[in-house]
Amino acid sequence: METETGLKKYLFMPRTSVTTESNKTGSWRFLRPRYEEKTSPCSTACPVGEDVARIEMLITQGAFKEAWETILRENPLPGVCGRVCYHPCEGSCNRREFDTPISVHTMERFLADTAARNETKPAMKRLSPKGKTVAIIGSGPAGLAAAWFLNMLGYATEIFESMPAAGGMLRWGIPAYRLPAAVLSNEIARIESEGARIRVGEAVSASRFEELKASYDAVFLGCGYWRGTALDIPGEAGGGVEDGLSFLRQLRQGAKPDVTGVSAVIGGGNTAIDVARSIIRLGGRAVIVYRRRREDMPAFDEEIESALEEGVELRELLSPVRIAAEGPNCILTLQQMKVEGRDRDGRGRIVADGTSHTEISVQRVFTATGAAAAEAWHEPPPAKEEGQHHPTALSLSNCTLREGQHGKPIIYGGDLTNTVKNVTQAIASGKQAAMALDTYFQSGAGAVPERLAACLVGEGPSLSMEMYMNGPRRERKSHIVSYREINTDYFQFEPRVIQPRLLIEERTSSFDEIELKISANTAMREAGRCFNCGLCNDCDNCYLFCPDVCILRGRDMTERHINYDYCKGCGLCVAECPRNAMTLGEEEES
Amino acid sequence: MKKVLEGSQAVAEAVRLAKVQVISAYPITPQTHIVEILSDYVTTGKMAAKYLRVESEHSCMAALIGAQSAGTRTFTATCSQGLALMHELLHWASGARLPIVMAEVNRALAPGWNIWNDQTDSLAQRDTGWIQMYCEDGQEVLDTTIQAYRLAERVNLPAMVVLDAFYLSHTYEPVDVPDQSEVDRFLPPYEPAFILDTKHPYSLSPLVTPTAYMEMRYEIAAAMDDALEQFDRVEEEFAKIFDRRYGAVEAVNCDDADIIFVTSGTVTSTGRLLLEELRPRGEKVGVLKIKLFRPFPVAAIRQALGKAKKVVVIDRNFSFGASGIFAQEVRAALCNLPGHPPVFGYIAGLGGRDITVKLLEEIYFDVKGSAAPRKESIWVGLQEVNRAT
Repeated sequence: METETGLKKYLFMPRTSVTTESNKTGSWRFLRPRYEEKTSPCSTACPVGEDVARIEMLITQGAFKEAWETILRENPLPGVCGRVCYHPCEGSCNRREFDTPISVHTMERFLADTAARNETKPAMKRLSPKGKTVAIIGSGPAGLAAAWFLNMLGYATEIFESMPAAGGMLRWGIPAYRLPAAVLSNEIARIESEGARIRVGEAVSASRFEELKASYDAVFLGCGYWRGTALDIPGEAGGGVEDGLSFLRQLRQGAKPDVTGVSAVIGGGNTAIDVARSIIRLGGRAVIVYRRRREDMPAFDEEIESALEEGVELRELLSPVRIAAEGPNCILTLQQMKVEGRDRDGRGRIVADGTSHTEISVQRVFTATGAAAAEAWHEPPPAKEEGQHHPTALSLSNCTLREGQHGKPIIYGGDLTNTVKNVTQAIASGKQAAMALDTYFQSGAGAVPERLAACLVGEGPSLSMEMYMNGPRRERKSHIVSYREINTDYFQFEPRVIQPRLLIEERTSSFDEIELKISANTAMREAGRCFNCGLCNDCDNCYLFCPDVCILRGRDMTERHINYDYCKGCGLCVAECPRNAMTLGEEEES
Repeated sequence: MKKVLEGSQAVAEAVRLAKVQVISAYPITPQTHIVEILSDYVTTGKMAAKYLRVESEHSCMAALIGAQSAGTRTFTATCSQGLALMHELLHWASGARLPIVMAEVNRALAPGWNIWNDQTDSLAQRDTGWIQMYCEDGQEVLDTTIQAYRLAERVNLPAMVVLDAFYLSHTYEPVDVPDQSEVDRFLPPYEPAFILDTKHPYSLSPLVTPTAYMEMRYEIAAAMDDALEQFDRVEEEFAKIFDRRYGAVEAVNCDDADIIFVTSGTVTSTGRLLLEELRPRGEKVGVLKIKLFRPFPVAAIRQALGKAKKVVVIDRNFSFGASGIFAQEVRAALCNLPGHPPVFGYIAGLGGRDITVKLLEEIYFDVKGSAAPRKESIWVGLQEVNRAT
């Protein structure tokens, strides 16, 4: 062909308008991608198995109510836990290997505060009434959780509380600067509005306990550890020596005890820290005396750090030998200790360092070395006592079930049975008790272990009520997503949110809450840092990268399917999924 | 306007003036300056183009094949290992008749790992169906890049503008950068001969059976032959506006020369200095610069070399088991010419080693003193090598 410029066009080009759909390239496939949501490490580290990755995703989308309800499916106390939980979720966050973990506790508190401010009512899934009533002794976190979850499962509940207000250790044992009373009351009000009946000022004695066993379908014992452990040293019964837990309770009851001068606080747990920091706020000086070292203290590290910031003095490797009154003062005699080898649990073994004693003169001494059950009958009886037959006895991870004389189940939970004693573990206990009781009534005690095993988050030990109630979370694989399974090309370094706090001067002069609120924008940005390990957030990378146009999307652009007629199994979708919500497996022989 | 530009900048200016619409490249020394400048132009809005970042040169060429099929003017730059990685898709680009333009910076292939000048990378792609043009200086590189679009789009074949690593890519020279309006007069917007259009879907390059494949190949061969003629036509159009032309070959003092040096790329400039050195001393020497390597301008070469007594080919490249590649091509061009002069092949400057006027002078007197080539290829300037025993 000649053109006007004398150009010859040699274009013999093959092309076709016949569709290539007849070529079903899916037959070439030997690897098969599939959508498969997995378990995030934070959710298994959480003692109550909160669906953290999904909660953060919902916050990112601005769906605060849904995010809050997602917590409530596993934990009735997000306002409490957002403040006082030791957040093991953050310690296991995959993002810590990238820059810094997501501030999960800040997000949890934000959701609870937002719901409280807006007086939001949750829409919880509830099973039909079972016609049974469970008596719950103690309105601490274990009892409240048991009531919440039993209500969800269709049971009526009545909580017996000896104190004039509900909350147990949350109300009487944790100082207001960590947990304001209004936050707790708000959460308890919600638990009540969802069906729990709380009978305050009704102490349960041993004989009343027997009556409850007879008249209710089941009893849950969650009355906690309220008796301070004795030091077993001379002079501890004398003047100037006080139990730390009682002191904290007095403060929450409105007392303003005189703590001028120096107070010694003996112990290394959270109670010791709470006592010492409260003394500072009342205008006194506090010295914590601990027989081990700082790194051995069971108190949460952030609490220790805050105490030291506020002026609490810490004296390590000193064990009290005796306390003697001297006028208005106490002379505390202390044995110097040293580390020698290791204990069986891996901690340094502490032994006396020679015979040298030191003495310190203080105005008063607080003991906070541990607690125990207030009454012997609070402890679960042994599975088999002489002459007594317990046909059913189940020891679960967070509670213990015994069948009483009337053939009715009694569950001991919370601090009474938990190895690790804290608020979140107590809630976990209440949840486990609710699941165990429901299974007991539905299928008998023998079915409990298997039924609970099916509700483990990842490999456990946390349990999911959403899974127990056959929610969509049941579809997730138990595989826990690791950092190297995240495609970090899709994430950028971004600093973790810094929660604003009161100034040191403000902290040490009042019991006001230390940590301040954050804005919705800040929360969304922080939640946006989350990898959402193992979950699909509709990012559509699979759709964009598929070279064979095999990703089919539903009308709302959320449901995705793979067209296996044409998928060649190249695996690009799986490789480019930022959060490991897809899996590439071998094609099964047909 | 005259500017002092690096060879790489001259390429980038030409791409800007050619109003390229899609650029894709993967950085590789010594090509990187070109694409750095272009990515800057795209980011700052100096060019209304899309810059595609890719993970390899293979993907880069695949992306451009797609973009050019969709009817856009495209550009890439690469060298050495990067060009080798593109190899499969170089065939595809020409087979699919897509006038993609590439700047190819001549760099040695590894191992030994070497970033310096060597022509073997581009010459190893001589059978891929790409037009290849070897440039001598910054001005030629700018002009040739603009011309390459006109030529490639006329014959529907891809074109490679080849420039020497560092000697050209990183050397600053005065370069006349033309006005956009003048370039627009020379180079109209791209009018694709065919286009992939989602409104009228069809697929290109499906299975072709033995009944049609050979015809496709014949058409490419015919287009390549046509490119030889179109090259001159494009140069003429260019000269009308810009008053500059280079020729498929340039014969310098060849008419009366007894010995003619055949050169390509920047060595040509060294050859010009050799003439200044030897001509006053009465030596009848000439230089034939070969710019257009594909299609190979056989007739012009025969005409320029036919009357010489001896032909010397300086090859900054080597085909192992054969000889320097330009020497092979020149021999093939001359062999059917009765009484053609003997061809002396010299291998020099591999891996960036300098080719000096003195070296060329030594070669000249070596050739002058030899009645016939001692060997097919004589490697010059070799050092003693301690061979492992």
